[in-house]
Amino acid sequence: MKRLATVVLAAAGAALGVVAYRVQMDNLLEQTTVLRSGASVVAAWSFLVAGLVAWRRRQGNRLGPLMVVTCFALLCRQFRYSGDPLAFTVFFALGEVAWALVAHVALAYPTGRVTDRVERWFLGVAYAVALAFPLAILLAYDGTAGLRYLGSAPGESLLLVRGSGDLVRALQDTFGVVAYGGLAVVFILLVARKLLRATPRARRMLAPLLVAAVVAAAWAVLNGLLTFATTPPGVIHDLFWWQVLGLIALPLALLWGLLRERLARVHVGELVVHLETASPGELRDELARTLDDPSLEVAFWLPGRFEYVDAEGRHVDVPDASASRAVTGIDHAGEPLAVLVHDPSLLEEPKLVEAVAAAARLSLQNARLHAEVSAQLEKVKESRSRIVAAADEERRRIERDIHDGAQQRLVALALELKSAQRTLGDDVDPGLEALLASAADELQVAVEELRELAHGIHPGALVQGGLAAALEELAGRSPVPVTVESTQDRLAPEVEGTAYFVASEALANVVKHARATRASIRATRVNGTLVVEVVDDGIGGAASRNGSGLRGLADRVEAQGGVLRVESEPGSGTRVVGEIPCGS
Amino acid sequence: MRIVIADDSVLLREGLARVLADGGFEVVAQAANADELRQAVRRYKPDVAIVDVRMPPTHTDEGARAAVEIREEQPEVAVLVLSQVIEAAHAVRLFSERPEGFGYLLKDRVLEIDDFLEAVGRVGRGGTAIDPQVIGQLVGRHTDEGPLEELTPREREVLELMAQGLSNRGICEKLVVSPKTVETHVKAIFLKLGLMPAPDEHRRVLAVLAFLRS
Repeated sequence: MKRLATVVLAAAGAALGVVAYRVQMDNLLEQTTVLRSGASVVAAWSFLVAGLVAWRRRQGNRLGPLMVVTCFALLCRQFRYSGDPLAFTVFFALGEVAWALVAHVALAYPTGRVTDRVERWFLGVAYAVALAFPLAILLAYDGTAGLRYLGSAPGESLLLVRGSGDLVRALQDTFGVVAYGGLAVVFILLVARKLLRATPRARRMLAPLLVAAVVAAAWAVLNGLLTFATTPPGVIHDLFWWQVLGLIALPLALLWGLLRERLARVHVGELVVHLETASPGELRDELARTLDDPSLEVAFWLPGRFEYVDAEGRHVDVPDASASRAVTGIDHAGEPLAVLVHDPSLLEEPKLVEAVAAAARLSLQNARLHAEVSAQLEKVKESRSRIVAAADEERRRIERDIHDGAQQRLVALALELKSAQRTLGDDVDPGLEALLASAADELQVAVEELRELAHGIHPGALVQGGLAAALEELAGRSPVPVTVESTQDRLAPEVEGTAYFVASEALANVVKHARATRASIRATRVNGTLVVEVVDDGIGGAASRNGSGLRGLADRVEAQGGVLRVESEPGSGTRVVGEIPCGS
Repeated sequence: MRIVIADDSVLLREGLARVLADGGFEVVAQAANADELRQAVRRYKPDVAIVDVRMPPTHTDEGARAAVEIREEQPEVAVLVLSQVIEAAHAVRLFSERPEGFGYLLKDRVLEIDDFLEAVGRVGRGGTAIDPQVIGQLVGRHTDEGPLEELTPREREVLELMAQGLSNRGICEKLVVSPKTVETHVKAIFLKLGLMPAPDEHRRVLAVLAFLRS
């Protein structure tokens, strides 16, 4: 809005306020005081001020204009007090519309639009009631029955059709019950509903305004209840100030909401400072704090992979915009960079989001790079463990083929030779017997060699009896005395395979290099991790001596998502610990 | 003695059946997998079931699991497990507290036909046949300064043969010594290990295996 228009509206509002004040004072009623007359005008002005600020801050938001209109409606309402029949008739007829506008402002906050069907219905009814009753009263008002709040009003209805004091009283009572009683209660319920349905961030913004609205509406309800009671003047007096306070609180609360946004934009400056030192992982937290939205999510667009990922490079599904989540894209040089998934209430503060996006663009680019690298690393890790798993599977298959294929056949063949030998008995050519015997022996040796070969490829004990059995067997083969303590659980083949590999390689090192007199193997499950520990009492110093072997071991464990630690101070033995994730 | 053989290799099954028949055993059924084995055992109620550890479909330990079930459901059926590889822990788990009527041998042992037939017969009569390699691993665990250290090499040999399930006569034949000598060794072993003298050979195996497992 142009500055000129603001000045014009402000001046017009101020002038109208002065005139309204004069009209009320000139037609002074008994209880009317300078203070009360002035307070009504100030309450109206508070809408003007808040409305003009909102209008300037949020171009295109109808809330500002709506509040300015409300101010003028509240001021015009004062012209009911005028002695001029035309002014009295017109502004008495339109006066109550001001209350409907106040309700409209509260329900339209913060978007300026009322989209909810129930709320639209309510406002429709409120406007209709606010127009219909005063009109009906004017048709019957002939001065015989006094008008409420106007005392012995000097006005004269130009719309009088047929005067009836009883009808005027009845209409006024009904209006009091319907408008101040019924509609105000519904209004309070709608406000409560709005608050309950709001997202957490929106609720924080709405709360002050809606509390003010409820205070104002509660005044109306009490007013409605007092329709039939003869109220002592003191109560009327207190009720008046309650009304004024509620009316002033409403626009003030809205101003507060606007100032919050201003304040948040001040935080953008802090954001820039913080982002200097923030790591990519902290970026989201910084943005969430500046935007005052703990639910904020940041997803980075990876153009090469056509997917959104989080800061760690994991795939994320960006939700469609809905009543509970909103999505704002951030571009860089015309290309999508990232999206913010946030509370929809932030859509009302596009300037803030824009400022934050501008401030964070460089950091977002960095973070995206980081996410991209993380995503690639993740892929590489996955493919590495797939390769290891495939190799393992292949070894298991070969071992099985040897045992169940070649070995079985050789044993069967040897068995046939042996039984042939027995069948022939003693009355056979000694040369032939020796031939048979040596063939059978050779076969037996071949079977043994084959078993050793298969064991080297993949320990059969691991297949048949699991890790515990295989470690026992490993210890049994070792020339250095080894104690074994192992979980009896069967685990995934790749976990068992890796654990066995750690134990066998570590034990091989013990035998070859450590000059140990004893060693121990422990395999225990701790919180979803299989911990394999090989300890010896040898000369230590393994880390420097056997770099490549331990490196291979570490590779193998890391491929499984685990870690390998080697503690081997010279002179104090060696301790190899592999930690392998194994599920719960 | 009536036998059921379970092994997925037809060649080996047939070979075993012939060797057993030649040795005076009656092979009443052959099974190619664990299910067939269970059915055959229920139907024929054999004296001994000879079971390969690895059978289809997964070729891991179907046979061993079937063996455990058979021993639970039909304790009167003796079970001789043949394994491709030797694992003491696995073997110990299989016979658990009851080594009577149980055998666990490396598959290659069938080639020592006489020893094998003798083991089948022993298991069928309620005895025990544990592979020397299993016993070797169990003994290997007792290398610290325990009571085993006090045994002479000869006594150790006798201990291992006892643990395999051999009777005094069997031990005599293996070591080519007199029954008297074996008895002396056995007494000395029991004394040194602090075991109660066992009244019969079944319980002797039990005592020795229990000691080795401890």
